[in-house]
Amino acid sequence: MTDDLAIHSVAKSFGGITALSDCSLEVRAGSITALIGPNGSGKTTLFNCVTGFYRPEQGDMRFGDAVLVGLRPNEVVHLGIARTFQVTRIFKNMTVLENMIVPIRQLGLRTLFTAGIKGHERQRAEELLEFFGIAFLRDELAGRLSFGQQKLLELAAALMAEPKLLMLDEPAGGLNPVMIDRLTAYIRELNAGGMTFLIIEHNMGFVMQLCEPVLVMHRGRVIARGTPDAVRANPAVLDAYLGD
Amino acid sequence: MRIDRRWRRGWPWAGLVLFLLVPLVQPEGFYLDLLMFTFMYAAMSVGWDIMGGYAGYVSLGHVGFFGLGSYAAALLLVHLGLPVFLTAPLVGVMASILGAGLGFISLRTRGPAFVIVTLTFTYVAQLLMLDLKSVTGGSKGLFLPLLDLPANLVIVPFYYAMLALLVIAVLVSVAIRRSKFGLGLIAIREDEGKAEASGVNTSLYKILAFAISVWFAGTAGALHAQYLNYVDPDLAFELIITLNLIIMSLFGSRGIVWGPVLGAFIIYPLSAYLIFLLPSRLAGQVHLVALGIVLVLVVMFLPDGLIRSYQAWRRKGPIDHRPVEARASIVEAAG
Repeated sequence: MTDDLAIHSVAKSFGGITALSDCSLEVRAGSITALIGPNGSGKTTLFNCVTGFYRPEQGDMRFGDAVLVGLRPNEVVHLGIARTFQVTRIFKNMTVLENMIVPIRQLGLRTLFTAGIKGHERQRAEELLEFFGIAFLRDELAGRLSFGQQKLLELAAALMAEPKLLMLDEPAGGLNPVMIDRLTAYIRELNAGGMTFLIIEHNMGFVMQLCEPVLVMHRGRVIARGTPDAVRANPAVLDAYLGD
Repeated sequence: MRIDRRWRRGWPWAGLVLFLLVPLVQPEGFYLDLLMFTFMYAAMSVGWDIMGGYAGYVSLGHVGFFGLGSYAAALLLVHLGLPVFLTAPLVGVMASILGAGLGFISLRTRGPAFVIVTLTFTYVAQLLMLDLKSVTGGSKGLFLPLLDLPANLVIVPFYYAMLALLVIAVLVSVAIRRSKFGLGLIAIREDEGKAEASGVNTSLYKILAFAISVWFAGTAGALHAQYLNYVDPDLAFELIITLNLIIMSLFGSRGIVWGPVLGAFIIYPLSAYLIFLLPSRLAGQVHLVALGIVLVLVVMFLPDGLIRSYQAWRRKGPIDHRPVEARASIVEAAG
C-alpha cells in the first residue's frame, strides 16, 4: 500500500457555517499537489481536519492504511504527515536549533529525559539548516529572524519529523521573488527524494510552475482536478474565482 | 572567559557548602529558621516553575498539595507511627499521583480552565480536611508528637531536609531544562498548537510536568507539618503560600532554573523581616498588602523578572558578540 492521502465525503461546519461539505480528494504519493480556491473555500479547514486540529463531523480520511479521523495532531505527525501554517508559527523565544529539535519523534517515556540535543540530531538539524541556507543563524532566537528566514525555519523544522507527506499552507505568501525561486527549488529537490507535497497557495505563478495535479476547492468541496493548464481553462474554476 | 565559566559552575556548590556549614556555627535562632523557610519556598517555587515557567501553565493549586502533604504525613505519624523524614518523599509521590489525576482532567484543555480547576482543588481539599473531623480533627487540627531532640537542636534536621529538597529541586529542574522533555514543555509555553503539530504529546508532557511539580509541594508540606508539630486547615491551605511561589518565580524570572531560587532568596527574607519589624496585630495584613504591591510592581516594571531583565540589559551593551552574518540578518529583519 502506498502512502496516498485519501479523503472521502468529509464534512465540517462551525455553527451555521459549512466549511466542508462532502469533500473528497486524493493525494498520490510522490506528487506535488496544489490545493487552490478562493478565500473561505475550506482549504485550511481541510488541512486542519487532516492534521487532527479539527474533527470532521462525517467522512473518512486515510493515509495509506491508517485512519486519520480521531487522531490527535501529534499522532498524525507520527504517521508521517507534517505541516506548516498559513501564518508562520515558530517558537520565537527558542533558538533556531531548538526549533529544529522539537519535532524529533520521541519513542516512549524514557527518551523524554535524554539530552535535549544529541550529536546526531544536531548534525541532521545543521544539514537541513545548511540546505535552506540559514545554518549561520543556528544560535539566534527564532523570533529575531526575518520573515523569509522564519518561513524557511518552519519548513526545515517540519522536515526534522521525517515526513512522507508535507502539507504547506501558503508557503510563498509574503516572500519576495528570489525567496520564492529558492523555495521552489527546495521543494523540487525534496520531492525528487520521494517526499509528497500538498500545497495551499494563492500565488498562481508558483502553483503553475511547481504543482501537478492542481485541485480547486469552492464552497467546501473539490470542484476541479487536473493539470495546471486544464484547471486554468476550466469554466467552473473561473466562476469560483470571479463569482457566479 | 574560563574564569566566568568556572564561576558560573562553581558558585552553586560554594553556596551549598556554605549553607551546609551554617548550623555548625549557629545551630538555632531566627536566621536558621529564616534560611530553612527560604529553602522551603525556593524548592517549592522551583517545582512550581516546572509547570508555570517551563510549560506556562499557572497553578493556584500547589498549596492544596502542600496541605494534603501536611495532613498525609501527620496522619501517617499519628496513626501508624511512621516518622515524617521517612514518609515525606512518599507523601510527595502521593501528591504526584493526585496531581497526575487532576492534570488528566484539567490539562486536556488549554487556557484558564487549569487555573480555575487548581484553585477549586485547593478549596475542596481544605473543606475535606475541615469536614472529615473524625480523621483530621476538623478545625481543631492535629497535634504531632515532638521529635526526640533537645529543643534548641530541633530545627537542624529540618534545615538540612529543606536544603536537600532545594538541591533536588534545582537538579531536577536543570535535568528537565536540558532534556527533550524540557524542550517540549517550553515549546508548549511558546505555542501549544504548534508544539502538537510538531509531534509533542502535549497532554502527556503537561500531566507529567504537573506531577513532578507538585511533588515538591507535597514533600515540603509533610516536613512543614512535623516542624510545627501541628496542622490545621487554615494553616495548611493558606492561599498566600501559592501566591508566594508565583511572586517568587515572577520576580526572579519564570522558566529559568535559578529564577525562582533568586526570587525566594529575596522575597522571603524581606517579608519575614517586615513581619518581624511590624507590631504583630498589623504584621499579617501589612505583609499581604506588601506582597500585593510587589506583585503589581513586578508585572508593571519587571515582567520578565530579574534574571531575564539583567540578561537583556547585558545583551544591549555596546559590544555585540554575535557573528557578523547573524547581525546582518537581524538588520534585514528590522529593515
